[in-house]
Amino acid sequence: MPNLIERQRHIIDFTLSSLLRRKGKNCALLLVYTLIVFILASVLFFTHALKREAALLLNEAPEIIVQRTLAGRYQTIPIAWSDRILKINGVISVRPRLWGYHFDSAFKANYTLTVPAGNPPQQGSIDIGSGISMMRGANRGDIIAFTGHDGIPRSFKIRNILEHESQLLANDLILLSEEDYRDFTGIPADQATDLALRVRNSREYGIIAEKITRIYPDTRPIVRTEILRTYDALFGWRSGLLIVIFSAAILAFVIFAWEKATGLSAEERREIGILKAVGWETSDILLMKFWEGTVISLTAFLVGIILAYLHVFFTSSALFAPVLKGWSTLYPAFPLTPFLDLGQVATLFFLTVVPYTITTIVPSWRAATIDPDAVMR
Amino acid sequence: MILHPGILALFLSSLLISLMTIYAASCGFMILRRWDIDSGSELQLALERRTCLISSIASYLLALQLLSLFLFIQTADSISHLFVGAMCAVGTLTVNSFGYPTLLLKVLNFILAGLWLILNHADNRGYDYPLIRAKYLLLLIMAPFILTETVVQCIYFTGLKPDIITSCCGTLFSQGSRGIASEILAIPTAPMKILFYSCMAATLAAGARLFLKGKGSYIFAIMSGVTFVISIASIISFISLYFYEMPSHHCPFCILQKEYGYVGYPLYALMSLGTITGLGVGLLQPFRKKETLGMIIPAIQRKLAAVSLFSFFIYTLIASWPILFSSFNLKG
Amino acid sequence: MISARGISKVFNHGLPNEFAALHPVSLDVSLHETTVLKGPSGSGKTTLLGLMACMARPTSGRIFLNEREITSLPERFLTEIRRSTFGFIFQQFNLIKGLSALENVMIPAYPTGEKYSILRRRALESLEMFNLGQRADARIEWLSGGEAQRVAIARALINNPAIIIADEPTSHLDSIQSREFIDIMTDLKAKGRTIILASHDPIVYDSGLADRVVEMRDGRIANEIKSS
Repeated sequence: MPNLIERQRHIIDFTLSSLLRRKGKNCALLLVYTLIVFILASVLFFTHALKREAALLLNEAPEIIVQRTLAGRYQTIPIAWSDRILKINGVISVRPRLWGYHFDSAFKANYTLTVPAGNPPQQGSIDIGSGISMMRGANRGDIIAFTGHDGIPRSFKIRNILEHESQLLANDLILLSEEDYRDFTGIPADQATDLALRVRNSREYGIIAEKITRIYPDTRPIVRTEILRTYDALFGWRSGLLIVIFSAAILAFVIFAWEKATGLSAEERREIGILKAVGWETSDILLMKFWEGTVISLTAFLVGIILAYLHVFFTSSALFAPVLKGWSTLYPAFPLTPFLDLGQVATLFFLTVVPYTITTIVPSWRAATIDPDAVMR
Repeated sequence: MILHPGILALFLSSLLISLMTIYAASCGFMILRRWDIDSGSELQLALERRTCLISSIASYLLALQLLSLFLFIQTADSISHLFVGAMCAVGTLTVNSFGYPTLLLKVLNFILAGLWLILNHADNRGYDYPLIRAKYLLLLIMAPFILTETVVQCIYFTGLKPDIITSCCGTLFSQGSRGIASEILAIPTAPMKILFYSCMAATLAAGARLFLKGKGSYIFAIMSGVTFVISIASIISFISLYFYEMPSHHCPFCILQKEYGYVGYPLYALMSLGTITGLGVGLLQPFRKKETLGMIIPAIQRKLAAVSLFSFFIYTLIASWPILFSSFNLKG
Repeated sequence: MISARGISKVFNHGLPNEFAALHPVSLDVSLHETTVLKGPSGSGKTTLLGLMACMARPTSGRIFLNEREITSLPERFLTEIRRSTFGFIFQQFNLIKGLSALENVMIPAYPTGEKYSILRRRALESLEMFNLGQRADARIEWLSGGEAQRVAIARALINNPAIIIADEPTSHLDSIQSREFIDIMTDLKAKGRTIILASHDPIVYDSGLADRVVEMRDGRIANEIKSS
């Protein structure tokens, strides 16, 4: 047994030194390999991080949201409706919510306005997200002005800067009091944006939603899990699509790798011939080739992943955020919460290292079966 | 069909595995037909070299099968919330009737690849390729299973349709229209416990006998196979419950998650190692008569039995740990 | 003892460019004897050397190494026998460029899994024996022809083989270096090694080294001279 380990060590040593002796050739391969891993890893990390942001955001969302539609378009909902909905069995509470978006034409940014359920700011003061704070250069205690629905600017005192686990949620948020909200947006006093329901039993979601549509046929109940699923499928689909697009790149890479692996230089052939002549066996050469592939793959894989991690979580995916986010134009730039899971790494491994390794099996074997007496001829 | 990256990766790997298998099988077929150990012809030399390639392909195959098994469960788990009522991989696998067959085929192929490598190892030790025919027959038997796996997996994935909001009227009324078993059928706990421990004891005894006296290879191999099935049933029936500390969560996959310290990985790894090496003992038994392997096979069998015994023993220890020491009580 | 019984070698069998490098040939080489295969290039001596040293398999015929038939052995067993029984010195030295002399000497022993420290010590001792102790860490391309030749000899000896095989060992050496080589071989012979050389250099086959000179021509044994 120690013999076997020692043999592996010798062969790894030899492989490393022979890789270093052929820096030029391996450099190009390593570069392309790393690039492929980097691109795919960026796609995966980014969509996954977005999915996670969405999930965090929805964690706090109510179980069922009831919206009203008018001629198929979204409409504010009368607060009075909540009484009848509350009478449905299984509904614990109904809360009319007030929220919406505000476009700041001066800074070309979209903000989310919300009246929080608990601890709302006093009339005349607001809490703002860190993104807005940064963009407008406004801090705690400052006075900040926004233009209301009627074109008249209103000024608010900043009570707090919001920090949150999910950057997506808090970044563009403005919290304000109900009175200010109605004054700012012009929503009548008896109307709300939508109704948020708390429901005790998850199995009753469907039945309750059905009952609501029976009472108010022009409402649209949305169940939380459904939103989550939709987001998830959307992001999953987007990253899947990108991978399909990049599969052409993977294919090109595989062809490149095949080229590199089959095109042994005369020098390399001679070396393998020498090794075989002096007593290395086919399986020793195969082992050497295996370690060679492992070293290259591992280097490219690790470097690619680290670069992608930095790219996604520290530069906010500067390279292809527009394709993936879709709605990024609506939001101020926000940093994503770093996150990495095993399934993603395995997926990446299958998309990059596995094709590379399989591509090199046959060429390695070809190299390993060079006749030992080749060097004598 | 869901364009999930994990699914794409599995597609790709199955495709590559199938291509490799077809290549290896066609080489194997050629070897079976043209093999002539006494010939010094260039064809014979080429065939001999090809056996080296196929061994190397088979080793990669084993590694890939293992990885794809992992990714398959991981992916099934991560897309489970796309299906109403699915809580983890169990739910995703029951979305259509091809989920579990895919999983079973993956496990089967993994075991077959392991057995092939054992046979290959024994063959490489003999001076005259004593097991060459057996080896390539087994490869030809394996090939259809691997190809079937690819096809079944493909059908399974293309049949997955997520429940999502499609238009302005929510799809939520689809909820409940499809019955997904979010839990696997519970097997009664008490009889299962007795069965598990008596089976394990019998296997360990058979293994010890084989290791010490060199007798009872077939019994041990059969016991290993039986232990595999019973172990899985036991994980579902009661072992997992102690890790979850929940009296009704019979799930063989959630123990693979971080929440439970990834304890599922050592459990399943030890169980498959024990089973593959145990079955390997029986697989080698009929070839003891080959003259060049007369001395070699018993030695290999002894080693395999030792590995198998060790794996099963540690497996039982890990599985029993929470049963013995946790405050959680099933009857509670 | 190596005995070759009617061995032949045909390259590209069945193809239009079929070429018989060796017609059926029988030859016995006893241990502790030095045999020189003599003949012009293309006479088949390198092929015969390669076959007897388990480098390749004959197209027909059988080879016995100490009574054991080795012709039909799978490649990996053949390699093992080759590694432990034969040490090779090639015409172009065949040292690996970019590696040090020491590493080159150690290479044949890597697959045996010998402990690194022991292997290194043995390789160093072997280099010192050939006055190359100071050049151990020098890269191969920095060595002179004679030094490279001695590194190649040290490499051939690292697995402590019973038989040393040398194919045209002096073709890249000047006369002084060639004589030096003969001296080393004579020394090894005195230590009980079997030596088989293929050469068409008079310095080699006319030296007192050879117990036996086998002359080859056109893939056949043409003449045999026993000295002493």
